[in-house]
Amino acid sequence: MNEGMPAFYGDLFEQSSLIYLGLWATIKLTVVISITGFLLGIVIFFLGLNANATVRRLVEGYKSFFIGTPLVCIIYILYYGLPALGLRLSPFEVLVLGFTLNVGAYNAGYLLTAYNGLDKSQLEAAVAQGFKSLQVYAYIILPQLLKSSTPALTNQVIYNLKDSSIAFLVQYPEFFARMQELAAGNFDFFRAYLFAAIVYLILTTVIFLFAQYIERRNHWPGRR
Amino acid sequence: MAILQAIGLVKRFDDHVVLNGVDLTIETGGTLVIMGPSGCGKTTLIRCLNLLERPDQGQILFHGESVLSKEIDIRLYRRKIGFVFQHFALYSHLSALDNITLALRKLQGYGREQANELARRELAYFDLSAHEHKFPAQLSGGQKQRVALARALVMQPEIVILDEPTSALDPLMSQEVSLLIKKLEARNITTVCVTHDIAFADQISQNVVFMFQGKIIAQGSVADLAKASAIPEMNWFFGKKRYE
Ligand SMILES: Nc1ncnc2c1ncn2[C@@H]1O[C@H](COP(=O)(O)OP(=O)(O)OP(=O)(O)O)[C@@H](O)[C@H]1O
Ligand SMILES: [Mg+2]
Repeated sequence: MNEGMPAFYGDLFEQSSLIYLGLWATIKLTVVISITGFLLGIVIFFLGLNANATVRRLVEGYKSFFIGTPLVCIIYILYYGLPALGLRLSPFEVLVLGFTLNVGAYNAGYLLTAYNGLDKSQLEAAVAQGFKSLQVYAYIILPQLLKSSTPALTNQVIYNLKDSSIAFLVQYPEFFARMQELAAGNFDFFRAYLFAAIVYLILTTVIFLFAQYIERRNHWPGRR
Repeated sequence: MAILQAIGLVKRFDDHVVLNGVDLTIETGGTLVIMGPSGCGKTTLIRCLNLLERPDQGQILFHGESVLSKEIDIRLYRRKIGFVFQHFALYSHLSALDNITLALRKLQGYGREQANELARRELAYFDLSAHEHKFPAQLSGGQKQRVALARALVMQPEIVILDEPTSALDPLMSQEVSLLIKKLEARNITTVCVTHDIAFADQISQNVVFMFQGKIIAQGSVADLAKASAIPEMNWFFGKKRYE
């Protein structure tokens, strides 16, 4: 090994396949929870519009609970608590469940904000034309909400990526866990975490550019 | 024969009685105008007619059959009634063309091509062909109104109901709106029009009903109503002098 070169680079090269797997695990987790969180958000939001006041109150309670509690806490509850109830899930399953419940609550909130800004007379116009409420939701409400909340929803994907770095706490071998191992091996914490930060930055930039592309494609004049 | 009939309609919002026993008969063909002071219940009445609001008491008969009975399919009934909202209520994420075709495609089962063809016929009818790809935010008030009318007419309704069609437009446009309503008559569509505008009412129909505090208290031409003096408020409303 070259005398002048820090051990960090040699270790990085040596462990590159593990780090690569870690990166892949991070991306996999981010993609899965972004999709499941997105779908759950739509369902929660929809239930929040229910005519039944009890349903609406339950939805409010759900959102307050998951927005008001730290994600780590929820994941620990699932990771350590569920086995006690006889339900043993893999770290990946625990993470998907915990993240989905949390991200779904946030996404439902973004959709509700967009819904509040919607011109409601359109919904009545659709009802007057003979659409069922589910059709009004599918053809009028949802397309407009998805377009106007694209920035918030894609921001959430960036949060998902960054928050996935807590997955090491439940022994999920993702990118950040690999970088910690690397740093622990040669004590070059500065380089290891700077490297990790740069990799996260590159990934969030990709997400950001993708979001901009979607937003441009979805633009329509006079959008609210 | 009456196409649509309201009998003893009562509608309350909490303790506030907004419709207090409305009797109204809408004959097939022609135009009926509903006038009356602000807050007398005009919008509530027409919203009850297509069941956007459910009346608390009374009957609504369409071709003599109750639309409040459980057997009737409300959505099917609504398709026979075109409703043009005061502020047009166009779908803001859809182009003028798609605003008109949405219900054709999703409710009537037309394919896109066929729906577009029907919609373009309406657009041409209303001089809107050049604007078919525009979104609502890119249309003027008058254009929006015509798109809203085209959206209602493409479904081939038996009745078209308009709420204050001139109120969101400048005064010069009301002349054009009255021509539009004449066009509906030419297509044998029964028209119901709510308005505040006496000159406009006089232009579009000789059949005007006057509503006051949740009741219909007079019916006739504008000139008849201006002469009748059922209550002081009505004299005031018609500015008696002008029509003597
Ligand atoms: N959804 C509602 N909830 C409570 N009150 C309502 C509702 N809709 C209408 N009202 C009340 O009913 C009364 C009649 O309203 P409506 O809109 O039918 O009047 P209008 O004759 O159309 O008046 P305008 O000429 O100003 O449009 C008003 O006092 C209004 O405040
Ligand atoms: Mg009104």
